Amino acid sequence: MTRDEIKDLILEIIKDIDEDADFDTLQSDLPLRDQLDLDSMDFLDIVMELRKRHKLQIPEADYPQLASLTSCVNYLEPLLKNI
Amino acid sequence: MHTPLLIIGGGLSGLAAAIRFARFNPDVLILEKHSRVGGLNSWYYRHNSLFETGLHAITNFAPPEDKNAPLNRLFRQLKLRRKDFSFHEQLTSEICFTNQEALRFSNDFDLLLHEITSKFPGSANQFIKLVETIKEHDPFQTTPFRSARTYLDNTLNDPLLVDMLLCPLMYYGSSVENDMDFNQFVIMFRAIFLEGMFRPHGSIKDFLDRLLNHYQNFGGKIRLQAQVARIIHQGNKVQGVELQDGEIIECDALVSTIGLEETLACLDTPPLRQTQGKRLGFVESIFRLPSECRKDLPTDKTIIFYNNSEQLQYQRPQTLVDLTSGVICFPANFQGLAPQPYFEVRTTHLADYSSWKSLAGDKIAYLTAKSNTASQSKTTVEKIIGNFTQHVVYEDTFTPLTIERFTAKKEGAIYGCPDKIKDGNIGYDNLFLAGTDQGFLGIVGAMLSGVSMVNQHILSRL
Repeated sequence: MTRDEIKDLILEIIKDIDEDADFDTLQSDLPLRDQLDLDSMDFLDIVMELRKRHKLQIPEADYPQLASLTSCVNYLEPLLKNI
Repeated sequence: MHTPLLIIGGGLSGLAAAIRFARFNPDVLILEKHSRVGGLNSWYYRHNSLFETGLHAITNFAPPEDKNAPLNRLFRQLKLRRKDFSFHEQLTSEICFTNQEALRFSNDFDLLLHEITSKFPGSANQFIKLVETIKEHDPFQTTPFRSARTYLDNTLNDPLLVDMLLCPLMYYGSSVENDMDFNQFVIMFRAIFLEGMFRPHGSIKDFLDRLLNHYQNFGGKIRLQAQVARIIHQGNKVQGVELQDGEIIECDALVSTIGLEETLACLDTPPLRQTQGKRLGFVESIFRLPSECRKDLPTDKTIIFYNNSEQLQYQRPQTLVDLTSGVICFPANFQGLAPQPYFEVRTTHLADYSSWKSLAGDKIAYLTAKSNTASQSKTTVEKIIGNFTQHVVYEDTFTPLTIERFTAKKEGAIYGCPDKIKDGNIGYDNLFLAGTDQGFLGIVGAMLSGVSMVNQHILSRL
């Protein structure tokens, strides 16, 4: 997957969690949680969806790396490079 | 057979736990002892009409846009759309201490604030500070029991106000006599006073049917009338369960929602610890009345929490029932409900399980006690809401024995054992507790309990 595709994947997953999520003002380098009113339970859904869709096992210690859209892409890029 | 996740109990916590898991993996099975789901909040038919059990109101009301509210978090976690449900908010409820004081409250917190400011002016500032503390406190940390009553006595400095505030919160979610844990107090204060009460459109059956449908659409399975005889385990590792009929179902993980002692009774090992304190039993009565009588009774009140004695006694009585305090609910008095040919008055009082149990062998004595209790309940609440006895077309009363029989809650204690297992961990590698004895109470609380136990203990191991 390209960086753009990964970004779209994350946004699609978030849209699936909260269909009212507003991406218009979303800044890629700021934490997703604060901008989208997501809590830790919603956050777990992102991890679970990645596991369900792409069989990715993300250890709990790595969750902080999914904080912002940019950090998500950075973290997932090597893991999804062959997909 | 073998299933990755097995859930004992098809009440609201079990259903929520199952839906949460099924969202990511359909291989989950619920085992429910009864012939229908819902647990404490279920229904039955008499004379071709449906009667709800348990449900007075659902707490934790929140508008859809308040994303962080427990109700909306729950809906997101279960992948349910708020838009697909219609809710009816309460009108006004009241805490009524006869010959002492009355406080009205609604889903608009300003009403309670105004009532307290005008009726307890000496405690108004302290109350405002208390509300700030409640808003900022994190009630989900696992800390030892801390008395809410002691805290309130020290902060508010008015024993009557303390009793009045605790009355609805204890009646809707305290398994402890005359008190509650401070964290539980914060959760219940937010759920009832800051958020508010509502009921779903239709009956509890419609609500449960939708949850069950949603679960089955994800591929989840359920078996009714499936009673677990024992949990099979080797040391701390659970391997599965054996049903009453001898069938063995193997699993990788087990979530039990049937209560702490009820779960330990299915295990070969002795209880990890003895639970402290008495279980609180209740009697509930339903009185059905023709709609013509509505005008004679309050039409603007949803729930009345009353107390007729000098000091509120939220404790196990020594007699069958304690009528000096209780809850009166008008299920027809929610916003936007269409008029029906009949309406109900429901009452709840504290009861003593052992007094009822001692009558169990003598059917006539038991039925007489039940009917006397219903009559006394009517006479007691008539002094608060007006006369209605002569118009009752149908009535039914549930004793702690009825509740025990249909919900399998030990001693009919709807709020379970006094001490809670907040992290759901009872000393096994792959068996976790959710629901009543995990400690989140009420319908939204029970469902969040199921969801959070699956999140914490099960999903992370998938």
